[in-house]
Amino acid sequence: MTDGRLHAAFATSAEVRVALNRLGQDGVPPDAVEIRSSVPLEHDIVPVGGRIKSRLPWTSVVGGLVGGTAFFMLVKLTSEAYPLPTGGMPIVPMPTTGVITFEGLAIGAVIATVATMLYECGLPSLFKKAGPLDHHIASDHILVTVTCDEGASSAWTAKALETARD
Amino acid sequence: MAGPAAGAHEEVLIRPVSTFRPKLFVGSLVTGLIMAVLFYSWGYQIVNDIGVAGINRPVFWGFYIVNFVFWIGISHAGTLISAILRVTQAEWRRPVTRCAEAITTFALMIGGLFPLIHLGRPWVFWYMVPIPTDRGLWPNFRSPLMWDIMAITTYLLGSILYLLLPMIPDFAILRDRMMRESPKSLRTLFFRVAALGWRGTPQQWYSLEAAIRAMAVVIIPVAVSVHTIVSWDFAMAIQPMWHSAIFGPYFVVGAIYSGVAVLMVAMYLLRRGLGIQEFLNDKVFNNLGLMFLAFALLWGYFTFAEHLTVWYGNEHAEIAVFDFRVTGGFAWLFWTMIVVNVVIPLLILPFPKGRKPLGTAIVGLGVLVGMWIERFLIVVGTLRFPRLDFTAGAYTPSWVEIGILVGSIGMFGFLYFTFLQLAPIVSLWEVREGAHIANRAGPAKRHALEPASEEA
Repeated sequence: MTDGRLHAAFATSAEVRVALNRLGQDGVPPDAVEIRSSVPLEHDIVPVGGRIKSRLPWTSVVGGLVGGTAFFMLVKLTSEAYPLPTGGMPIVPMPTTGVITFEGLAIGAVIATVATMLYECGLPSLFKKAGPLDHHIASDHILVTVTCDEGASSAWTAKALETARD
Repeated sequence: MAGPAAGAHEEVLIRPVSTFRPKLFVGSLVTGLIMAVLFYSWGYQIVNDIGVAGINRPVFWGFYIVNFVFWIGISHAGTLISAILRVTQAEWRRPVTRCAEAITTFALMIGGLFPLIHLGRPWVFWYMVPIPTDRGLWPNFRSPLMWDIMAITTYLLGSILYLLLPMIPDFAILRDRMMRESPKSLRTLFFRVAALGWRGTPQQWYSLEAAIRAMAVVIIPVAVSVHTIVSWDFAMAIQPMWHSAIFGPYFVVGAIYSGVAVLMVAMYLLRRGLGIQEFLNDKVFNNLGLMFLAFALLWGYFTFAEHLTVWYGNEHAEIAVFDFRVTGGFAWLFWTMIVVNVVIPLLILPFPKGRKPLGTAIVGLGVLVGMWIERFLIVVGTLRFPRLDFTAGAYTPSWVEIGILVGSIGMFGFLYFTFLQLAPIVSLWEVREGAHIANRAGPAKRHALEPASEEA
């Protein structure tokens, strides 16, 4: 127990699932529980009442549309503003403009994907302090941290976590 | 679910990045010295101008463009193969993806240098960038060279991000580990910054996996577009043996073929040098060897189709290039290419024993040589024979061009050796995840799913 936070390291996701159920039964709110692991866990391993969601891949699609449109407009508007002699051929031919539009679409999708991922993950966050059991994550344990008021709820939180480990 | 998948076997992956490894340092030093040849030669060319290169009328594209196409082809090793394996959820991909993705990133960086080198005056390269100024120039977006810039920039950006995203959790593993072992060291500081504050919460994993999936889907068509566009640099010109409708797919197949070749060689060297046989095991080589065989057949098919059409058409300008390539002065190059790209792979790879690490690496080395020759034959072979006979000419590379080619190989080695000292070459979390999935699947399926399971 440090800084009003209770830390526990578990070896398996089954143990974590039991602990989370107990915490939920004891009324610990989901935003007070943090689960951390070195590998992706099964998607049902979340604090009771909590949920995970992502706006991906929809933001990728939107980013792609924005990128594609931007590149298309770049080619179209600038080619018309600086018209080069084309010997009677179109100034903005669809096949060649399509190539650049496609690359713009891809670059927009890539940037939107990474930006969404960083935003949803809250990264970068370089100044967050390490917890006392963080090294257990490196050895593939699953860390459950519960934030609680000193003295008030720590007793039952500790009990819940200990019960799960029995 | 069983207990933690991290164990002593992971140490072999962590050691190169957590401690000083003299072998890797010497590797960086030696390849760095070879890389210096590139910068010396390029500097010499900048000071003395492009005339020091062997390119001259009518062969205006020589080694630099050959190397450009070659390195861009090599870059198809990683991101594309890795993306395909991720999308198809091939479990055996886990130890392969990172070493492949790193190849892509570094090969693209090197490939992207060659248009600058070829330009002779690299400081005017920004004229290709659409920035409105009073210089009165504007890039022609109808030119395949502009498409090249767009495609390579997109692929490079996508590949770098695609390499870096899955590395974040590994940096976090190393950070958490090093914080305990040596909290004040420079390496720990590096891992702290590189991990970006990753905590490994379910939300972070969910978003990361969604991002990797989305990136994989986007990167596959981008990779295909890149080498198609490189082929269009040639195919859009009405030159003998360039103006071909199959050049796009032909180049893409050739690029993936040379990409798999370099991956085979790199994996063999990594396996030997770092002792990571447990991860880059026979099963991985066997599976990639089958892919390698498929591309050998595809490349042979495309080459035959391309040459048959030209020979059958018997068009004057084209047959001049064809004859010189197949029976004339370049015949020794052409037939060497056929032997190392088709004959040897088909003699070795169909057999399980041939798809062992050494066999595939030997075939890979040959294919790398063969694919470089292919690009040389395409670029120089055609330009030697313009449509007007009396303008035919010859091309001999100068020491500057040879120095830059050798230096580029050194640069690739240098970047790779440096990378090996900064990040685990096999993704720690992906291998752990694979082990967890295998454990959940039960003993019956474990053998099939575990990436570390060695073939008998």
